Amino acid sequence: MRSVGRQSNGSIGGRSPAGQAVQVLVIAAIAIGLFALVSVYGNGLRDPRYLDGWVLAAGIGLQLVFHTAMKTARLARRSALRFRTVHILVGYLLIAAFLSHSDFSLPDTSLEWALWASFVLVTLSGIFGTYLAWSLQAKRGIDERVGYDRIPARRAELAREVHAVIAKAAPPDATIALPAPPYHAWIADLYANHLRDFFQGQRNFTAHLVGSRGPLKRLTDEIDTLSSYVDQESKAKLAAIKTLVEEKDRLDFARVYLGLTKGWLFVHVPVTYALTVLVVAHILVVYAFASGAW
Amino acid sequence: MRRPKAATPANPNSRRDRLASMLALATVICLAAAFLFSRDTQFLMPGPLASVHGAIENCSACHTKSGTGKLRWIHGLVAGNPRADSKACLTCHKMPKTAFNAHSASNAVLKESTDRLRKIAAATPEPLAARAQDSAFPTHDVVASGLDCATCHQEHQGVHFNLTKIANERCRSCHVVKFDSFDSHHPKFENYPFKRRTRIVYDHAGHFDKHFPEVAEKYPAKRIPDTCSACHDSRSDKRVMAVAPFDKTCTACHLDQIVGKERASGPKGIAFLTLPGLDVKVLKDKNAAIGEWPEASEAELSPFMKVMIGRDERGRALIKAVDGVNLQDLSAASDDQIKAVTALVWEIKRLFYALISGKASDVLADLDVGNGVKLSAGLITDLTASIPRDVVISAQQEWLPDLAAEIANGPKASAPEQAGWSTAIEEASSEEPSDADAPEDDTSVEAQVEQTVSKAKLDPPVCTASIFGQCLAFKAQKDIAGAAKAKAAAEETGGKTDETDDAAIENSPSEALEGEEADLPEGSEEEKADTAEAKADARSANSASDTQATAEDAPAGNTGNANAKPDDGKATLSADERPPVKAADQTDDLLAPTEQERRAIEAHNKHAASATRDKEAAGDVAPDLSAAAELQTGVAPVAGIASDVDPESWAEYGGWYRQDYAILYRPTGHKDKFIYSWLTLTGPQAPKGDTSPAAAVFDFLTHKDAQGSCTKCHSVDDLKGKGRIVNFSPPSAESKQGRFTNFIHEPHFQAVGIGQRIGIVENRGCLTCHVLAKAPPSEKTSLYLKSYEQGNPRHFVSNFGEVKKDLCQTCHNVSTARQDCLLCHKYHVNGVDTPIMNTKIPSQ
Repeated sequence: MRSVGRQSNGSIGGRSPAGQAVQVLVIAAIAIGLFALVSVYGNGLRDPRYLDGWVLAAGIGLQLVFHTAMKTARLARRSALRFRTVHILVGYLLIAAFLSHSDFSLPDTSLEWALWASFVLVTLSGIFGTYLAWSLQAKRGIDERVGYDRIPARRAELAREVHAVIAKAAPPDATIALPAPPYHAWIADLYANHLRDFFQGQRNFTAHLVGSRGPLKRLTDEIDTLSSYVDQESKAKLAAIKTLVEEKDRLDFARVYLGLTKGWLFVHVPVTYALTVLVVAHILVVYAFASGAW
Repeated sequence: MRRPKAATPANPNSRRDRLASMLALATVICLAAAFLFSRDTQFLMPGPLASVHGAIENCSACHTKSGTGKLRWIHGLVAGNPRADSKACLTCHKMPKTAFNAHSASNAVLKESTDRLRKIAAATPEPLAARAQDSAFPTHDVVASGLDCATCHQEHQGVHFNLTKIANERCRSCHVVKFDSFDSHHPKFENYPFKRRTRIVYDHAGHFDKHFPEVAEKYPAKRIPDTCSACHDSRSDKRVMAVAPFDKTCTACHLDQIVGKERASGPKGIAFLTLPGLDVKVLKDKNAAIGEWPEASEAELSPFMKVMIGRDERGRALIKAVDGVNLQDLSAASDDQIKAVTALVWEIKRLFYALISGKASDVLADLDVGNGVKLSAGLITDLTASIPRDVVISAQQEWLPDLAAEIANGPKASAPEQAGWSTAIEEASSEEPSDADAPEDDTSVEAQVEQTVSKAKLDPPVCTASIFGQCLAFKAQKDIAGAAKAKAAAEETGGKTDETDDAAIENSPSEALEGEEADLPEGSEEEKADTAEAKADARSANSASDTQATAEDAPAGNTGNANAKPDDGKATLSADERPPVKAADQTDDLLAPTEQERRAIEAHNKHAASATRDKEAAGDVAPDLSAAAELQTGVAPVAGIASDVDPESWAEYGGWYRQDYAILYRPTGHKDKFIYSWLTLTGPQAPKGDTSPAAAVFDFLTHKDAQGSCTKCHSVDDLKGKGRIVNFSPPSAESKQGRFTNFIHEPHFQAVGIGQRIGIVENRGCLTCHVLAKAPPSEKTSLYLKSYEQGNPRHFVSNFGEVKKDLCQTCHNVSTARQDCLLCHKYHVNGVDTPIMNTKIPSQ
C-alpha cells in the first residue's frame, strides 16, 4: 500500500513553504487593504459598518455557493481542490471583514451574540479543517485510496494477517542439537500482550490527534528488541509483524483524521446554515432601523 | 432475496445536510421565540444606548418608522423620509433651522469660511490619505444633501460610549485645508483671538502707562490693580475670561463720571420732559393757536419726547415735519412749518396732560419702538425710572397752569385781541413791543398788570424752598412790589383781566381743537373720545384751574385776582380761601398736607392775607412765601424750608429733578436702568445716521458727552441693517455661539505654571501668551481707541499682540498634549440646547 504526499497526488495539505508564504502575504495584504478601505469609507462621512457588513455578507454568500457547488456539481478533482483553496482563502478574508465589522469588540446583545458565536464557530471549524489538511501534509500523508469507510475492513484484514504470521509454525532446525529457545513463545507473548489488542480496533486516538508517534515507536521498539534475540526465521516474522503494525498505525491515523475531517464538517456546515439565517435577519433589522449615513 | 436495509451505509453528507437544515430551522424558531417573548423590539437592539440616552425605552422615539408593536419595525424597510430620524433628535436637542448643515451653520457662514480657507489651502500640502479619501469617497454630495445626526453620533455602542467623539480624518474629509495634525500643517492663526473687539473699551496701554501711575501719585491710598487677576476672572465660566464687576474694579475712579460729579459743563441730568423754547412772537404774529407757552424757555425738545410723541404715525409725521426747524427762530418758517410747530405744541401739551391724567405706563405702553412688541411693565418702569407724578404735576402747574382748560377747550387762534389767557406770555415775550402789539391803551393798568404777571412768570424766580427737587417757595422779585401796586390798580378795573381771561377761555374752546380733531385720522375715535373726556374733566375743574392758573400766572397779582369777582359770576377764590383741591388723581397723599397742617396753613394764610391787606393799605407789600409756594405747586406746602441746594445738586446720587423748563433725570450710578432700558429699546431701531426719534434717543445717550457716560466704556456695535447695540452684557458662553474655536484658560494656567516651575516657559504669567504690542504708548492708545469710533466690532486694534500658533504648538504636538480637532474647535457652532423636561406638576 502506498502512502504518497500531496505534491505528487494532490492529497490534502498545503503548498510548498514559499507558496504558503505567498498565500499568507496575499491574505494579509487583502485584509489590510480591506481595513484601509473601511477606514477611508468611514472618514468619508459614511457608516463603515455598511461597507464591511456587505463585504462580510457577500463573502458568506460566496462560501455558500462553494458549498452548493461541491454538493451538486460534479467537479473534477483538480477543480475541486482549487475551489477548496479559494474557499479557505475567502474564509481567512472573512475573518478580517468580521473583525472590522465587529470593530474588534465583543457583542452586547443576545442577537449579536448569536451572530457572533455562529460566525466564530463556523470560522473555528473551518480553521480546524484547514489545520487538519495542513497537519496531514505536514506530518504524514494519507493514502487517499483508503476511504474512511474501508478502514475497519482493512484493519480487520491486518489483524488476520498478523494472527496468521504469529500462528505460522517454524520448521525444526536439524543442525542444532540443543533445544531451541522458545522464540515462538516470545513472539506469541508479544502478540498476546501488545499486538492482539493493537490490531483489534482504533488505538492511540490522542497520539494521532496531536501527531505523536510515541505509541508506534514503543511498539516497534519492542519488536526490534525482541528481534535481536531470535533466529533468522523469527526475525523475518517479526519484520513482517512490524510492517503490519506500521500499516495499522497509519490506518489508525487515517481513521482519526478522516473522522475529524468528516466531524468538523458536521459543525461547519450546519452552523453555517444557522449563520445564514441570522445574517438575513440581521440585514433586515439593520435596514429597518437604519438612520441615514449608509 | 432482498438485501437488508441496514446493510446500506447511511451517506454522511445527507445526514450532515439534514442536521444543517434542522439547525437552520431551529435557528428560525429560536429567533421567532426570542422575538415573541422579548419586551417590545428590544431583542433586535444591536447594543445598549449611551448613558445619556439610557432612559429611552421606546425604539420609535428615535426610529420613527419603526412605530409601536412587535412587527411595525418591518415598515422601516419601506423607503420613507430619510431625515425623519434625525429630526426626531431635535425633539430634545433644540437646534436652529440649519441643524443639518455642516457645523449647523448657515450657508452664508459656510461659504464665507470656505472662501477664506481656499486661499490657505492653496499653500498647504494635502496628505496622501486625504487625497485618497477625497478621490474614493468624496463628501461633497453627502454634505450637500445635509448631514444626519447619525453621521457622527452613532448610537448603540454601549453605555460608556462617547457619542461626541469624532476622528480628525472625518473633519478633514470636508475641509478644504487638509492636514494631518495641528503640529504639521494646521494653518497659522489669523489675528487670534481678536475676531471681534472687546465689549468694554478698556485701554490697557493707557491705564498701565498713564492712568495708574498718575492716580498712584495723586491718591496713594487708592488701590491700583497690580495683577491681571485683579480685574480678570475665569472661574465662573471657564470658557470665558470674564472681567470682574464694575464695583470691584473701575468704580474707584469712574463712578463720579457716571453720576456726573466730574461733569464740568452742561446739565448733569438727562432732560426727559421739556417745554421746548419757541419763537412765540413769530407764532403770535402768524396767528398760531399755541395757547399758553412759556416764552423764556430755551430748552430743546427732548429726544424722549420725540419718541413719545412719535409713538403713532401722526406723531412721527409731526416730528419729521419739525425736525429741521429751529423752534426758537421761526422768522423764516413757512406756514406749513408754523402749522407743524403749532401741532407740536399741542402734542406736547397733550403729552403732559396724559402723563398727569393717566398713567405714565399708559403713555409709554404703546410706544412703537420695539417692532410692535408690547412693552412689559418692568421695562416701562425702567423707561420712566418710576418718575413721580408730582414732578410732572408741579412742572405743569408752573409751566402750563391752564393745561386742563386748554386741553378741554382746545387750541384757539391767538389773535392778539382774543388771546387774553396767552397774552400774558405773548406780551412779555417782547421786551420792546411793537406798535401793533402795544396799543395806546396798553399803558393802562391792566396792561401793566399783565406785563408784570408775565414777567414774574417768565423769569423763574429763585427758589427759596424746595423739596424733592421741586421748588415750593420762590424768592420775591424786585418788581413784585410794583406789581402789587399794579394789582391794586387792577382791582379798580373790576376784574377786566379776568374778563379777558374768561373770554379767552370761553372763546378758545374747541375751535382749534376741533380743527385738530378734524385733522385726526378717521380711525382715531379713541383719541377723540379721550379729548371729549378731557373736556368733561376740564369743565368740572375749569373754575378751579382758572383761578389757580391765574394765581400761578401772576404771583404778585394773585391777591388782586383773588379778590376780583368776575362779571360772569364764576367762582373765584379769595386769598383767604383754601385753593381748590385738584382732581383726586393729581394729588399725592404723601405730599398733601394733613388736616391739621391744612388748618395751620389756612390760619397762616389768613394771617398773611390780613397782613398783606394791612401792608397794601400801607403801600408796602412783602412777598408771602407760603402763597408763592402755593402758587407754584398748586398744593399747599407743608413747610417753607429755605435751601441753598439747587435741584441738580440735590439729586447728586441720582433721581428726578426739575430745572428751568425741563424735568431731568440724574443717573443713579452704574447699571442705571433708565439709560440702560432706553438704549436697549431704541438701539435696534436706530441705525447709524437715522433721524428717527428712536435714533435721536440713542444718539443722545451714546454721545461722548452724554450723561451716564455709558458708551465711554461700553462699546457700540453697528449691526448692519439691524440698528445698533450697546455692549452691556459681558461675553458669555452664549455670546460665543457661531464661533468655530474654543479656548479655556483654566488648564493653560496650570500648564504655564508647571512650565514655569520646570523652566519650559518664562515666568511671565498671562504675558506668556498676551504680549503687549510693541509700539509707543500714545500710538497704541490712539489706535486702540480709534477702533471703537466706528461700529464694526470686527475692526479692532488691540493693545496686545496676537497669539501665534507656534506658541500653542510648544505643548500641543505629537508628544506632549492633545491636538485633535475638537480640542479647540467645536462642531455645532450655534450650540445645541437641551430644554428642561416637560414635567407636569404632580397633583395630590
